[in-house]
Amino acid sequence: MSDENAFGELIQDYIVECLPLAEQVGDAFVELERRWREGDSGDDLLASVKGRLHTVKGNSAMMGLPPMQTVAHALEDACAMLDANPERRADDAAALLVRGSGLLIELIRTAAEGADAKAAARFVKRVRTFLAQSKTKEPAKRPGLLLERRRGDRRADEAAIAEAASGVVRVDFRRLDAMLEVLGEGMIEQAAVAELYRGLTRKLKASPELADLDRAILALQKTMKRLEGILMETRLLPISTVFGRFPRLVRELAQARQKQVQVVSIGGDIPLDKAILDRISEPLVHLMTNAVAHGIETPEERVRAGKAKEGRLELRASSESGRVIIRLSDDGRGLDDAKILAKARSLGLEASAEDTGHLRSMIFLPGFSTAEQVSSLAGRGVGLDVVANTVHELGGTIEVESRPGKGVTFTLSLPLTLAILRSLIVEVDRERYAVPISHVAATVRAEPETLHQVNQKGVALWRGDLIHVSDGGALLGTGAAPATSRRFYIVISLGNRRRGILVDRLIGHQDIVVKSLDPTVGRPEVISGTTILGDGKVACILDAVRILEQRHSA
Amino acid sequence: MSATPKRRGAEGLLDFADELQRLSAAKEAPAPGPELQLVTFALDREEFGIPIGQVREVIRVAEITRVPQARPHVRGVTNLRGRVLAVVEIRTRMGLTPAEITPKSRVVVVGVHQRTLGILVDSVSQVVKVPADTVVPAPEEVLSPGADYITGVARWNSRLIILLDLEKVLLLPE
Repeated sequence: MSDENAFGELIQDYIVECLPLAEQVGDAFVELERRWREGDSGDDLLASVKGRLHTVKGNSAMMGLPPMQTVAHALEDACAMLDANPERRADDAAALLVRGSGLLIELIRTAAEGADAKAAARFVKRVRTFLAQSKTKEPAKRPGLLLERRRGDRRADEAAIAEAASGVVRVDFRRLDAMLEVLGEGMIEQAAVAELYRGLTRKLKASPELADLDRAILALQKTMKRLEGILMETRLLPISTVFGRFPRLVRELAQARQKQVQVVSIGGDIPLDKAILDRISEPLVHLMTNAVAHGIETPEERVRAGKAKEGRLELRASSESGRVIIRLSDDGRGLDDAKILAKARSLGLEASAEDTGHLRSMIFLPGFSTAEQVSSLAGRGVGLDVVANTVHELGGTIEVESRPGKGVTFTLSLPLTLAILRSLIVEVDRERYAVPISHVAATVRAEPETLHQVNQKGVALWRGDLIHVSDGGALLGTGAAPATSRRFYIVISLGNRRRGILVDRLIGHQDIVVKSLDPTVGRPEVISGTTILGDGKVACILDAVRILEQRHSA
Repeated sequence: MSATPKRRGAEGLLDFADELQRLSAAKEAPAPGPELQLVTFALDREEFGIPIGQVREVIRVAEITRVPQARPHVRGVTNLRGRVLAVVEIRTRMGLTPAEITPKSRVVVVGVHQRTLGILVDSVSQVVKVPADTVVPAPEEVLSPGADYITGVARWNSRLIILLDLEKVLLLPE
């Protein structure tokens, strides 16, 4: 059992070390292909991959993973041959290298589940055939495995020494997760202490000791806050860790469709919580697959439309007021509004050709794929609704803009981090709820003369605008008779959407640790998760985004 | 004032220890042949049994928070030592009225479908060892359609213990 655990950890270490190396190799090969096409020798790139391949090979041998070892070895051989024979540097060679690095990445990524030896063997055979076509002699026989293993060792040692000298340590992300969990418990306990203190002040007379206790609690709060800040920062990774894979992916997608697409990424240094990065990759891949398959035209079509032969896919990350914005734009043909309209009507949805914004947002609804036929690239049974769901689960939003003939832009807005949420705690019919502060625009005292009804629905004049105000009890189904005497309403907002929710009490601000909702409970629309409050009781977190998206409501 | 989560956690553990001790005190004379080891609990006047292997622990009922728009038969969520545990209202799932929380009420924490869930029961009786050959199918006439979660009835001393297939009971309708 413990041996198994130890092995599992070793495998994780192996993945953590080798995956980035393999990815760098893959990126270099994609770049190499472009450079060779432009007539550049790419000598520097060929040289740069050697060491990395060698380390991967050595580590794979040490871990007893022959598929990865042989693939890395074959790639090394191919590189050595190309190094010696510049005339062989052509598209077919580049394609082979890119394919091999893709396989290597996949093998390493899934190392814990057992490697696919057959795919590795097939690739090694192809490299052999490729090398045999060479008129000049094959590169000199590589030294034996034992020697290489030691060299790999030495390289790993060197890497470890360099790392220690630079003051950087590698940490398994699961440890950071565990730290966050413990921090979360600490924060709940600290809130519990603060609550006990408030209870004490009601029972005891003011005294110097109580004042000291108050100060100590405040100091503890500040320290916890700092610890949280540092830990959150540790969990952040540059978004380029996700973006980096895309050029290779898009190249493959485009090639399969006889299209030419260039990927430009901007803002790769913007940091994002790794937990979000891990989950955002798939939706982005889906959007890019769509862009290549349906958005960007074939070179001939593009030339006819007066565009450059090569399509352009731009990924731009930026940070805006505590959120990360990712924009994915293509310069393809744009969304087909007529087709969307027809589809909406066939699904029995209200839609008009004039309200293009609303019309285009419908592409995120379930069952709303307008691609006429399922292609091998897009249409793998998931639609944009799945993309939108993932983004929403992460507490984000997604919007689409389209200019016919000019292209489509998807804008994703994501929180920096998932784990800890600054929230306003409110009470409705003696139930407490947490509302993420990032979506609370205001808290307002509900004076009866400011609340009105239009079409039997509550409205209020807020900052010069009429907004819909609904009863918290009705929204949350508390089962209590509709209260006429709620004392406050909170205004939740997102972009230009706003809505008021009547509540009984505003309890205060608190940093909450988000605990996901067990799927057994169902998929409530108005709740995004749960948290444990200072008194140890569980409270639900309001899903402000989805509440704002409800078009019709009580 | 309310207790801190720490104290609540410790209390829960102590309760569980008490419970275990009480349960194991009720040992039976070993029966020959294969045996089923069951944790039994009561709903109304019927006694039910689930395999002990599926039971993680038995806890007292702390506050259960209602979840808006939850599926039917979900009572809510509760704090189990810092984790949020979903609590299933097994009574309504089996066609009974919703449970009233009394000092005898318990949450049986079970592991099914690779998940940990709580089921709210009127009271927990004990751990019993029942010879497998005393289990008979329930008479067809008493099984309502949809009651396929009843796998049989065990006779134990002069009691009848209804055997439940937890996986089926906890497959909740949407």
